[in-house]
Amino acid sequence: MQLDWLLQPLLAQLNTGVLVLNDQHQIVFFNQFIARRADKRLEHTQGQLVYDVFDDLPRAWLQRKLDGVLSLQAPAFSSWEQRQYILKLPHLRPLSSDSLYMAQNCTMLPLTAPDGVSHYVCMLIEDATDAYVYQLQLQQSMAQLELANRTDGLTGVYNRRYWQQQLGYEVARAVRYQHSLALLLFDLDKFKQLNDQYGHQGGDAVLVELSAVIGALLRDTDLLGRYGGEEFGVVLPETDLQGAVLVANRICKAVAEHQLLFNGQTLNVTVSIGVSSYKGQTADELIQQADMALYNAKRQGRNRVVAWQEPAEVYLKQVK
Amino acid sequence: MTDFQFSEEQRDCLQELVNVAMGLASDKLARYLNTLVHLQVPAIKLVKTEQLPEHFADRHQQQSVTMISLGFFGDQGLRGETIMLYQLENVGVIAKLLGYSDDDSSEAEMLTDISSVLTTTFLNGLAEQLDNSFSYAAPRILSSRDKHFAEKLASTAEQWQLALQVDIRYQLTDYSFNCDMILLIPGEAVLRLRLILDQILASF
Amino acid sequence: MALNALICDDSLLARNQLKKSLPAEFDANIVTASNGVEALATLRSQEIGLVFLDLTMPELDGIGVLEAIKADAMDCLVIVVSADIQPEMQKRVMELGALAFIQKPASAAKLADVMHKYGLI
Repeated sequence: MQLDWLLQPLLAQLNTGVLVLNDQHQIVFFNQFIARRADKRLEHTQGQLVYDVFDDLPRAWLQRKLDGVLSLQAPAFSSWEQRQYILKLPHLRPLSSDSLYMAQNCTMLPLTAPDGVSHYVCMLIEDATDAYVYQLQLQQSMAQLELANRTDGLTGVYNRRYWQQQLGYEVARAVRYQHSLALLLFDLDKFKQLNDQYGHQGGDAVLVELSAVIGALLRDTDLLGRYGGEEFGVVLPETDLQGAVLVANRICKAVAEHQLLFNGQTLNVTVSIGVSSYKGQTADELIQQADMALYNAKRQGRNRVVAWQEPAEVYLKQVK
Repeated sequence: MTDFQFSEEQRDCLQELVNVAMGLASDKLARYLNTLVHLQVPAIKLVKTEQLPEHFADRHQQQSVTMISLGFFGDQGLRGETIMLYQLENVGVIAKLLGYSDDDSSEAEMLTDISSVLTTTFLNGLAEQLDNSFSYAAPRILSSRDKHFAEKLASTAEQWQLALQVDIRYQLTDYSFNCDMILLIPGEAVLRLRLILDQILASF
Repeated sequence: MALNALICDDSLLARNQLKKSLPAEFDANIVTASNGVEALATLRSQEIGLVFLDLTMPELDGIGVLEAIKADAMDCLVIVVSADIQPEMQKRVMELGALAFIQKPASAAKLADVMHKYGLI
């Protein structure tokens, strides 16, 4: 059975772009897929350099690829993931994609004419716009998921798991670069009374608003996280004890002066803050020390800042 | 269970075919890069796929490794997958070799390019020795800067019955780099390959 | 008296391929070696007239063997049979005193051609 007649209609109907170049990178053939999308006619462009016919080709890159295929007689590939497109062609889903151009997978194959000496490169161009669009959607969802994974649902500050992980990284950085590092732990004073008086909604509103007030006082590199119910922590990279106490006092004052409105009533709240700073401890020890300082701040009457100090007996032992 | 082991004669035969294929590939590369490629005997080893992750975990301990896979298909049921493993500190050297220093190609693009050049020139040579010809699927990056690379290799290797491990060292006049190439071949293609090797052996 | 010829290749297949491809009229005792070190030992202990030498081999490669033959001024002819066909490599081999370079797998016609040219058959 004679099959030659198949070739023309197949090439014309094929949902893949076929572009054939000679060893000088001049156009020998392209099929209807390319002709229609690029709005070019084969008979007008045959024999011209591919770079002159198609605008915006990545010329240096394509030249090297084509030369490689010709001299090694081995195929080359390009994926939309690395280079979104080679030929700037429109795609058929203008509504579902925010990209103007067709994402493409391209295979470049070496071809030799029956004479055995004329070499060509055949570029097969496949439309990968669907995959590209799905990938974009996936990335967006992943980014949202990651954000959700590290933030506290109520207050929008970092959650405990993420905050503690970051503290671990900051301790490692402090060790490596010999930077200073400090930690604040603070607690809303008499939060239980607040909840009893205004209900959980009132307590929640206070937590949300104070997170915003305190967040605004911090640097971009400081890490504010919700450690427990009404307990929060701040990691202060490249800050020594003195600096940390300054920041803590600023927070203490700002909270005490802030007037909070809930259901038309003004609430006044205060915080107690414990401060510790890095001197070779582990992340857990830093938290423990700040927690002990926080406990002392509560005991000394609340609405104040206390920095952790080494217990006297340890100090004495070291002196001996 | 089918036995996919090779006899010493079959192994020797395959080693020689690989050797000749490497010769053809390095000749093409040398002409393309306009320099001499020094080839060492590629040590080929037939290993059980389940041993691969352990082997490479030992070998690439504490180094970031990038894995690039490329599938190939030939006539008579010969098919398989090659995996190239690069250590990232090598990447810059390879890029310089192939003249990638001065444009906007991404690292991923560069690595897939290099892998397809290295593997297809080699596999074309091997196909020639086997009186076959291969077609190729586009290379895929399986992992990059990935700590769980051993797990990925394990899950990839699981689908195959035999792995032919070829350690390649390309050394050029001014640069040198090494990378590992693993040829993974499914069971029925292993049987096919053994038949072809036996035919070659019988003719000598 | 028949000539002693040494085939040096690490692959059994390659040695057999070569043996089989040698011209029928080539009258020689064939001995074999599977790396450069073995080859040199044979060359130093026996009277070898002709060596078919592979290049890529473990222990000592073909280039090393050629250098030793040259350094010791051994009286033998060398035909390199190798898969490493880069022009630079062929040039180097010839500079080291090889008679000819034959691409692997060695064809019977090419072998006969070269051996005829140098009066070995």
